[in-house]
Amino acid sequence: MTPVIMYSCRVSDLFRNTLSIVTAAITFILTLSLYGFVVGGGEIQLTLFEVLPNLEISMRLDLLSFCLAALASFVWLLCTIYSVDYMAKEHACGRYYPVFIFTLGSCQGIFFAGDLFSLFVFFELMSLIAYILVIHEETEEALKAGYKYLVMTIIGGLALFFGMIIVFELGGTVSLGVGVILQEPSMLALLAFICFLIGFGMKAGMFPLHVWLPDAHPVAPSPASALLSGIMLKTGAYGLIRVIFHVFSPEMLQSVGWNNILAVLAVITILLGSAVALTQTDIKRRLAYSSISQLGYVLLGLSILNNNAITGAVFHIFSHALMKSILFLAAGAIIWKTGLRVIADLKGIGRQMPVTMGCFSVAALAMIGIPPLNGFLSKWTLAMGALDAQMPLYVLVLLVSSLLNALYYLPIIIPAFFEMPGDNGHDHHDHHEFEFNIQEATPRMLSVMIILALFTFIFGLTPNNIAFSLSRVTAEFLLLGGAF
Amino acid sequence: MGFSEHFPALIVVVLFFTAFISPLLYRWARKLAAPAVIAALLAALAMVVVLLIQVQQFGIYYYHMGGWPPPWGIEFKADPLRLYILVVLISVSLWIFIYALRDLGHELKTRVIGWYYTLYSVLVGSMAGIALTNDLFNLFVLMEICAISACAIISIKEDRECLEASFKYLILSAMGTGCFLLGVVMLYMVTGYLNYSFLYQALVEAFDFYPLNIFTAAALFIVAFGTKAALFPLHVWLPDAHASAPSPSSAMLSGLVIKIYAFALFLMFYEVFPRVVLEAVPLSEIVLWLAALGAMFGSIYAMIQTDLKKMLAYSSIAQIAYIFMGIGLHHSLALVGGFYHIMVHAVTKAMLFMVAGVIIYSTGVRRIDQLTGIGKVLPVTMVAFTIGSASMVGIPGTGGLISKWYLALSALEIGRPIFVLVILASSLLNAIYYMPIVINAFMHQDEFKKEVKPVPGIMQLSMVVGMVFIIIFGFFSKPVVTLLEQAAALFF
Repeated sequence: MTPVIMYSCRVSDLFRNTLSIVTAAITFILTLSLYGFVVGGGEIQLTLFEVLPNLEISMRLDLLSFCLAALASFVWLLCTIYSVDYMAKEHACGRYYPVFIFTLGSCQGIFFAGDLFSLFVFFELMSLIAYILVIHEETEEALKAGYKYLVMTIIGGLALFFGMIIVFELGGTVSLGVGVILQEPSMLALLAFICFLIGFGMKAGMFPLHVWLPDAHPVAPSPASALLSGIMLKTGAYGLIRVIFHVFSPEMLQSVGWNNILAVLAVITILLGSAVALTQTDIKRRLAYSSISQLGYVLLGLSILNNNAITGAVFHIFSHALMKSILFLAAGAIIWKTGLRVIADLKGIGRQMPVTMGCFSVAALAMIGIPPLNGFLSKWTLAMGALDAQMPLYVLVLLVSSLLNALYYLPIIIPAFFEMPGDNGHDHHDHHEFEFNIQEATPRMLSVMIILALFTFIFGLTPNNIAFSLSRVTAEFLLLGGAF
Repeated sequence: MGFSEHFPALIVVVLFFTAFISPLLYRWARKLAAPAVIAALLAALAMVVVLLIQVQQFGIYYYHMGGWPPPWGIEFKADPLRLYILVVLISVSLWIFIYALRDLGHELKTRVIGWYYTLYSVLVGSMAGIALTNDLFNLFVLMEICAISACAIISIKEDRECLEASFKYLILSAMGTGCFLLGVVMLYMVTGYLNYSFLYQALVEAFDFYPLNIFTAAALFIVAFGTKAALFPLHVWLPDAHASAPSPSSAMLSGLVIKIYAFALFLMFYEVFPRVVLEAVPLSEIVLWLAALGAMFGSIYAMIQTDLKKMLAYSSIAQIAYIFMGIGLHHSLALVGGFYHIMVHAVTKAMLFMVAGVIIYSTGVRRIDQLTGIGKVLPVTMVAFTIGSASMVGIPGTGGLISKWYLALSALEIGRPIFVLVILASSLLNAIYYMPIVINAFMHQDEFKKEVKPVPGIMQLSMVVGMVFIIIFGFFSKPVVTLLEQAAALFF
């Protein structure tokens, strides 16, 4: 709650690196301190002030918002630590850090928003501020990608506005604390649903609104891309969860079949994202397309609307945030150290930067869904959900996409470890085959990646870990009608 | 009520009186001239606030000039809506005037500055009169005064472009007033009254006998006020006039003058013509569609402009269309939205013209493509521009969103979501032409090449005030909206 206000005030520039880390840490701790309260089933709905009659800025805390806020602040904290070294080479740090922290603030605002209007306000704030992160490099390419991002963001914002107006008109309120706002399906309600799909789906990179994503994510500085892909995409998914469970109700959506719109789009998103990722040669672009397909899993889970599927979706939000941050941070470390971005040039990089590539491999394997890692658990749960809903087709989609994941991640990992740098011919001298020419990133950057990689292990090993059980409880909580 | 019962008249009189003495003061006691105008505006503001409190307590108050009762005497009416308009009008003109103190010396010759003060006070006074009056003939007189002084504050710059623009404005404006007078005559012919309240009663009866006269009058009114308020397609004079005028004048014209005419048209629709007339011919519908077209075309024209002030002027055409939409949608929520937009747009557009003025003052640049990198040398100015454009687009947290919220809500309420789409599309268009300026100003690698004069403190302060108000309108809008809802409820 208070974090939001705290952050905005603390964007001063003096000792900015330490200050940014401290702020991120404080947020994380504050968020965690809410744990006991939330798990006990607690829920807060707090109105700050009324903007218009029946339209207020309010805060709300429940399980779902806690999960996402804790995740966001955790990843953010690590990325801030990582940034300190990464950004030391870059220009305009005075702009970078305040914006970085400010985005965290508005992101937490999204997760703690108590009604659609405040959600919308924070959502727009975050999207617009993140623009500054996207174009940080100020190159021609970055500006172009940024412009695309900005226009899409504004279109998405307007769609949300339209949807919100319809909800307000039909239901007389936009608060998330009153349970289901729209009970009856009607043309306007369908229009609102589509508007929300456009607005939030845009952010989540849903097909066919994903076009900004592969341009915008790679051009940002790596810690920022990690956050854009790892966390900010999730705000879109979060918004959709809120809309599905608090504005509409799962029963109603299923009875009129509107969730099928989402399902179809999600399936296309999954397959298309993976397929296009295959053709990318730039490592960050490949990662960006992979984000699109991964978010498709979350959306698919949401569209199935049963206990297992929702658990899988929420847990996949966790796991994808961790995995994708590692991948982007590792890619960032490589770019930072060697300046290489093209995948073909990365042969033998595993010998030069073993730890970085080690973390990269762990995350990539998790993406593919190799058992002891968290990616497996989320796919397993999603597949269970699909089977519960008698939709084996979705399981097939998941499997195909895992195969595609393997196809585009393994060709990065294998040459990285088992081929020589610049190994073009076959008759290359063999004698320093096992020679490691170690030029690693700084310890600080490495430790961040290692911590994240450890978490992918921990969350994947057994289904009894904290993130998974939180997702399970959240799913039950949502299915029980959203507001107790 | 004591002394305060004369306030409606005094508001206008004080400003006209200041107009007379300010050239004298400027000649003999130059230091006192500007403070005199400020004092007059402050006094007027204070009177409006007192009246507003009284009206809230005791209800609507009619003032009879010289004690002559209507229908023969001149009547001023003080109701919440008019007083709200007056608060916006006078406080914004006070703010622009304070900004103008520094900018005028740069744009005008010293000897005419005293006259500028005169014209300024006359303009504000006549607008206050237009808002307050309850009598068609009086309205006609004040409109003439307003039109002439508005032309004069453009042509006072005395260059070729300004003279041409103000001449164009004068001709079209005179045409508008001519139409208006003709309309008034038609109404007088069939009813024998000029007072709004009497007309409203008499027109119900007269409508059965002389429907054609009344329709013609209504059509003439739409043309007259449409021309003056730059309702699409009668907007042709506006871009030249607003762009070539000195920046404080542009702020005044775009921020306030066109809105007063929109307000006058609102009074015609809601206080003069009874419902039967409006139901017989879809007059609101005509205004509504013209407004929808204006909202789109104003933005499209604005996109292709290369001159910053011209772009702002075209953007005004799109924005005034929202206000007309508020009138045309014929719903109390739409009125709230439209009138809230009067306030928001007055502040926003005035601030954007101030920004343009500061840029011209400090660098001499007017072309949009030369503004790249300017954010690094004029940070406060360009932040103001950013906030202003955010409000134009309707980004949450700024006032622009609130007015769009109400307009969209009422469009849904009467079951016409198409107008929500119009509003959204025009917001998107706004974003498309405002955002590149902001981006290039801050995020461009090229350095700003021109020499930069330091910006005077008072100009920076004015812009900061503008920004603060735009944000306040975005978050703490409840009191104003409640006032407007009460005021709008009187008409339904």
